[in-house]
Amino acid sequence: MSRSTILSGMDLSKKYETLEVVKGVSISIDKGEFVCLVGKSGCGKTTLLSLLSGLERPTKGNVVLNGKKINGATEDELALFRRENVGFIFQSFNLIPTLSAWENVALPLFPMKMTGDERRRRASELLDQMELGQRMDHLPSALSGGEKQRVAIARALINHPKIVFADEPTGNLDSATGDAIMDILRRLHREEGVAILMVTHEAELAEQADRLIRMHDGEVIS
Amino acid sequence: MNLRYLRNELYYQKRRTLAAVIGLSIGIALLIILNALSMAYRRAAQVPLQEIGADVTVQRSGNVPKDLTGAVFPCSAVTIRNEEVKRIEALPGVRGVGKAVLLWVFDPDRAWIVLGVEQKNAVGPAILSASVTEGRFLEEGKSEALVEVAYARQFGMKRGDTLSVAGREFPVVGLVDASRATKLAVANVYLPLADAQDLAGSSKPLQSVSPFDPGDVNLLFIKADQEKIPELAASLRGILGKKATVATPDSFLKLLGSLFALSDKFTMAASLIAIIVAVLIAFKTMAGNIAERAKEIGILKAVGWTNHNVVVQLLTESVVQCFLAGLLGILIALAAAFGLGFMQVSIPIPWDMSPTPHFLPGGGDQIFKTLRLPIHVPWTLAAFAVLLSIVIGGMTGALLGRHTAKIKPSEVLRHE
Repeated sequence: MSRSTILSGMDLSKKYETLEVVKGVSISIDKGEFVCLVGKSGCGKTTLLSLLSGLERPTKGNVVLNGKKINGATEDELALFRRENVGFIFQSFNLIPTLSAWENVALPLFPMKMTGDERRRRASELLDQMELGQRMDHLPSALSGGEKQRVAIARALINHPKIVFADEPTGNLDSATGDAIMDILRRLHREEGVAILMVTHEAELAEQADRLIRMHDGEVIS
Repeated sequence: MNLRYLRNELYYQKRRTLAAVIGLSIGIALLIILNALSMAYRRAAQVPLQEIGADVTVQRSGNVPKDLTGAVFPCSAVTIRNEEVKRIEALPGVRGVGKAVLLWVFDPDRAWIVLGVEQKNAVGPAILSASVTEGRFLEEGKSEALVEVAYARQFGMKRGDTLSVAGREFPVVGLVDASRATKLAVANVYLPLADAQDLAGSSKPLQSVSPFDPGDVNLLFIKADQEKIPELAASLRGILGKKATVATPDSFLKLLGSLFALSDKFTMAASLIAIIVAVLIAFKTMAGNIAERAKEIGILKAVGWTNHNVVVQLLTESVVQCFLAGLLGILIALAAAFGLGFMQVSIPIPWDMSPTPHFLPGGGDQIFKTLRLPIHVPWTLAAFAVLLSIVIGGMTGALLGRHTAKIKPSEVLRHE
């Protein structure tokens, strides 16, 4: 792994009983790189993303994230590693419905020793960047789809991650809102130098990335 | 553990919170009220004895003379020897003994019930000194009589009159409302113990069936250590033999016949069922809670919460919910206790313990001590209920831990 590589997966396979969803995939992403993982629905993109982010363990192969081999880590070690190094953006936003916008953003900070004021300050800075400063105290049910996804992006960034994993981040949004979200992701990549691995099946979005990885039937084809 | 998250979950998930709190609070209220009821019946069972200044009464049954003239003993209360009294006074757990002689006196012009009492003994019928309605109570060293107020009214007796009892004369020094004060050993006339003993000792019919020496008595009132009453009762039967009648709070409790009065085992079994119901409600609610929140737990884990962080958060929620349920349970139990406090309890008084000749007015009637159920929720029971609620909340944590550990974020967050 070169000094500039932030993430590498070597010979990754994932089997569910007899069904092999990811078949011997090797992949690496450099620091600050914006990579899109594309392919048809069911080709194994999301599973590969889960393997690379430590949400799931591979049946075979290794994952090295920010210089640390994560395969042998316990569930709790993986959780702590994710908290310090990784941000997630999901298609269905996955916000906690009983927490306000800023509380959702600060969710990764809740288990950390920190004052409530400090959490709120850090969350509000990010929400300001997402142009949601006026919506800080609103519950997710009071936010539009685009606003929810911007809250989710802010949450992904709260711990200054080295890499953000985005799984179909515009999948539940109309095209205009989706474009706006993509603008934010590109800005993050450009201004903050955050590496992004984004799963999508939309060719137009994929073209905006630095590099494209195509998957088919569990394998990387280009 | 994050208090803000905890507060929001409890506040915004009102349906879930209320279901858990109300469900568990009913179980807790049931537990409190069952035990409060049991204690109330126990307290009620103590009242007939407390009214006569005792924890235990002792008497012995025997024969009634064929010739009902002068002073005789009722069949339910014959001689208790002075030596037996001394042995009883020395028994462990006995804090004081009050002695009395209960007589049926058949004079040519009337029949009456006479009770000889120790004027200054705090244990036993001297407690009636508080119920004197006119005149004064009996004084030591004086041969005088106190008449029950209803009896005096019926026969036109008043303070200052002289009564002739079995051929002996006694000035009436006062009237006493005894039948309102107690239901045990109620008499028409009260005399000093020594005078009643003289009447008994000089009665040939009485002596013919129940030899009676100076210093003997036929009724004992005992103050005792509450926890030693059961073994004391056994010792009393050992001293006085098979014909002894020993009245204790437990014997009145049995007369009540209520399920709660029947046994501690019933209360314990019912309490156990209430606790099991409460635990099942808490577990079921929490299990449903976990299933409903699987995705949320997945999110927490994905963004860096360890299993320990998640378990502590959910466990705290569970403990707080159960604590609130405990408090609500106490409020429900207090309301129920208030309502049950209007309930009347009638404790049957065995004829043996307040014997009236059957041929006298009211002689065959069943006497009851009727009182309002003395129910209340003691703070110790309330504190136990809250503690139990918290323990139940904590126990659900074990379930939570197992379930949350099994939740994989990748499985619950996989997009639709």
